[in-house]
Amino acid sequence: MKTSTRILFSSILVLLLAALCSFFKKELAAGKLVLPYKQAGLTERQAAEHLLSRFTYGPKAGDIERVLKIGLEKWFMQQLEGNLEDEDLNKMLIQYDDINLSNTEVENKYPTAARVLRMAIKDGTINKDSVNKGDQAAYRKQIKDYMELNGLKPQQELYRQFINQKILRAAYTNNQLRELLTDFWFNHFNVSLTKNQCASFIPAFERDVIRPNVTGKFNDLLLATAKSPAMLIYLDNFSSSGQPVAIARKDSALIKNGDVSNKIKKVQPKKKQGGLNENYAREVMELHTLGVDGGYTQNDVTQAARVLTGWTIAPMGEDGYGAGIKKLIDNVGEENLEKRGFVHQGDFLFVPTRHDNEEKVVLGKRFSANGGYDEGVALLYMLALHPSTAKFISKKIATRFVSDQPSPKLVNKMAKTFSKTDGDIKQVLITMVSSAEFWNVDALREKTKSPFELAISAVRSLDAQIIQPYQLYSWINKMGQKMYYYQAPTGFPDRGQYWINTGALLNRMNFGLALASQRIPGVHIDLAALNNHHEPESAEAALTTYSKIIMPERNLDATIKRLKPMLKDPDLDKKVEMAAEKNAAMVPVNDTSGNVKKARAGKKEEMQNSELAQVVGVILGSPEFQRK
Amino acid sequence: MTSRRGFLKAGGLALFGIGMGGVPGFLVDAVAGIKQPGLFERKKILVCIFQRGAMDGLMAVTPFTDEYLKTARPSLFMSAAKTSANKPLIDLDGHFGLHPSMSAFEQVFREKRMGIVHGIGSPNNTRSHFDAQDYMESGTPFKKGTESGWLNRAVGLLGHDGATPLRGVSLTSSLPRSFYGDNPAVAISSLQDFNIQMKGNISGANMAAKSFEDLYDQTSSGLLKETGKESFEAIKMLQKTDIKNYKPANGATYPNSALGNSLKQIAQLIKMNVGMEVAFAESGGWDTHFNQGRETGIFARNVNDLSDSIMAFWLDMGTLQDDVTVMTMTEFGRTVKQNGTGGTDHGRASCNFILGNGVNGGLVHGIVKPLAIENLEDGRDLAVTTDFRAVFSEVADKHLRINNDKVLFPDWSGEKIGVMS
Repeated sequence: MKTSTRILFSSILVLLLAALCSFFKKELAAGKLVLPYKQAGLTERQAAEHLLSRFTYGPKAGDIERVLKIGLEKWFMQQLEGNLEDEDLNKMLIQYDDINLSNTEVENKYPTAARVLRMAIKDGTINKDSVNKGDQAAYRKQIKDYMELNGLKPQQELYRQFINQKILRAAYTNNQLRELLTDFWFNHFNVSLTKNQCASFIPAFERDVIRPNVTGKFNDLLLATAKSPAMLIYLDNFSSSGQPVAIARKDSALIKNGDVSNKIKKVQPKKKQGGLNENYAREVMELHTLGVDGGYTQNDVTQAARVLTGWTIAPMGEDGYGAGIKKLIDNVGEENLEKRGFVHQGDFLFVPTRHDNEEKVVLGKRFSANGGYDEGVALLYMLALHPSTAKFISKKIATRFVSDQPSPKLVNKMAKTFSKTDGDIKQVLITMVSSAEFWNVDALREKTKSPFELAISAVRSLDAQIIQPYQLYSWINKMGQKMYYYQAPTGFPDRGQYWINTGALLNRMNFGLALASQRIPGVHIDLAALNNHHEPESAEAALTTYSKIIMPERNLDATIKRLKPMLKDPDLDKKVEMAAEKNAAMVPVNDTSGNVKKARAGKKEEMQNSELAQVVGVILGSPEFQRK
Repeated sequence: MTSRRGFLKAGGLALFGIGMGGVPGFLVDAVAGIKQPGLFERKKILVCIFQRGAMDGLMAVTPFTDEYLKTARPSLFMSAAKTSANKPLIDLDGHFGLHPSMSAFEQVFREKRMGIVHGIGSPNNTRSHFDAQDYMESGTPFKKGTESGWLNRAVGLLGHDGATPLRGVSLTSSLPRSFYGDNPAVAISSLQDFNIQMKGNISGANMAAKSFEDLYDQTSSGLLKETGKESFEAIKMLQKTDIKNYKPANGATYPNSALGNSLKQIAQLIKMNVGMEVAFAESGGWDTHFNQGRETGIFARNVNDLSDSIMAFWLDMGTLQDDVTVMTMTEFGRTVKQNGTGGTDHGRASCNFILGNGVNGGLVHGIVKPLAIENLEDGRDLAVTTDFRAVFSEVADKHLRINNDKVLFPDWSGEKIGVMS
């Protein structure tokens, strides 16, 4: 009797608890986010600024007021959803519409230089004996004409469009967090334009693989990257196979004649093709999921590589990627692929004849023989949800958004959420922003802007109009972040120490000066409009006013105090005058003296205007503006 | 100008360098004493040149007595025999011949200041430019995820405090993979740009510079403060010289090429004594699939630029030559057989050049077996017989006094081959 009563009671208790839990769960789902900034001693305005500086590419004039009006919590949830309209941006992006091409279309329109040459030779347009001989300019023109005639474009043009769109999106999208996360996850799953073979697949990689998955389940993101042509080539998994084979010949022979092992042996590969390649298997554990100390061994790497054999790229276009595989598919027949164990999804292809069918064991988990494509999916799922991954990913997110050295306590909290929600990135971010650590005074301004972030935040703070995004890219490169060209699969290191070195720092200062004084072509600013056309009464007033516009809610006393003497220089006017004269003299004017005078006067006015530009330039290059 | 101490030290070390026995004890002591940090400023400098695209080592330094090669390359093979029609190869040792467009190298080779390693390459047989460069620059041929580059690790292993931010300098627009990592390394595409700039507004630039210096000096961020200080120190160091109107010493004339300009600026940095110890430059255009040419043509132009640039630099170094070693590298070599378009395709081993007074020069090091098909890697390529890490680590060890191969090249434990004396 007693026992059954106890059971009854405990059952009721369990039911009650469950009901309570589901109630809280609903509460959270309904967006009852609580941001504990008051406990950290921050005002609502300061909190808004901190949110903006961590979850956008820098506040624009009026942004703080907008966030306050929407409400901090609601603003963050909106950003997390990432569904705000972006009409203005979309209009700007129309001119870069080739970033919407499919991989196949890219292959057809933007062939590699080597392929263009082969095509031109095949067509008889270019004589192979003339390459690298004789008149180089004439030869280049011949190639150019050939490309124009055939509607082909140099790959550099695609990359230029790709980079331009990234800059415009970062500067102008209303869904700022989505854009930051796209950058974050791209860098986490880094692929590089420096590797020619995968370069032209990278725009689609960002568009189709990264962008749609940035706040979803980590596993979906991981699986999508694993199957993308860009990653398959970048880390070589496309070529990894169970045995070294001469691909096309062996495969087609197999399919036509059943068991033809004797025939296979006779096929002597000209160049050793395939065989096991461990690069992807190693980096997927070390860099994408478990982390270097995640508890795997070299044997796990080899076994995982075997699990992932046969994962490759479907052929593209008529003359494009994967001619060998195309022949194979034609032989099997597209309609028979599934029956034969192939998996063909978009650009991804699983080729069963290249898959290692033996049993494997990875991290203690057995993958029995003949697991085919599914065992790779299962492996990635296991890796994505591994406790080491929960920690590794949480730490990386916290490093990006909170501090270069996030506290273990915060990381643990986030990792717990990660595990509890099966790797739900959105929930991990919510845990992070609801934590005391996010709002801790030590975390404020702790992060250093990357060069890209610096450039975009400067543009945003000045409300600049970007006509030629690529001009900004040159500066970002000079400051040490050649975006999309980072060679190693690690991606750019996310810490201030990496970004701040002598050469880079000087270029940051020069960038501020160049931007403010309108010396970056195609990036227009209107300093007067920024202050609603109120002319500051003095240089000092300008300093105070513009510092506050550019860096709202920051303690700028030190910055302003340091800069004041520069404006009080008694010789300033004289110096400006002299510099103006000197400059005018340098302008080669061999016209009448009247024009020289005019040029001088114009120059002088410009110089005086440039005083404001100089102040703004120094603010942008100041240490305070490098932090976020 | 070399100080007396610097000269004595340089001379002393050179004595060891040539490996003369019976160096008087007092000299050993003297040199050891001078080696104490702080007594002189100048340090040893390693200049690395990456030839991107994979140089055809068999055409740069041809085993001209090899009949297989002659057959494999009917229109590319050159001989050392003096004929009236064509410039012959420069016979180095009766077996290897230097491409005639690299005649600038002949003298230093004969003087035993230049060594060549043939059959050098990576144990990883990838024939992808990207992968092979990546592996060579990270120094870990089977591991892509290595964060740092080998030259960055070299900077970290120099073993003395270097206050200068310019210890590692790459004359490129962005930092090469070789310099990725935590130790100080800077990419500078042009020394002239290394300043606070406001075009056409000198006084404005000066004022801005002053403001920045003050601001960075006062900032609460240690990282920004320290680096700010370094930056302005570096500017001051560089401003001591008229960079624009630089006159190379000893009548040296640099080719007006990317490499020539890079090496010229490296020479300036060395003479300015800014504390640079590892420098990096690049040379492109080596991917010669089409009509690479022979005595003339694209390959000839490339090797001509390479050798003329390096020799202009060497001449310009003058009395500083003892402090400098130059080493070239390329990701792989090219096929033994010429292809159907008058060029060569991606292969395996190539050769490299090392120039310096501490080099075991006048020799073609390494092993190049007769190019019969059975001796070729995968039946087509010059086999890699010397791991590039054996050579890089030896040069780093002997010239920069770095002897921690575990850090410099983790996963490698091979033998060095004696390219340095």
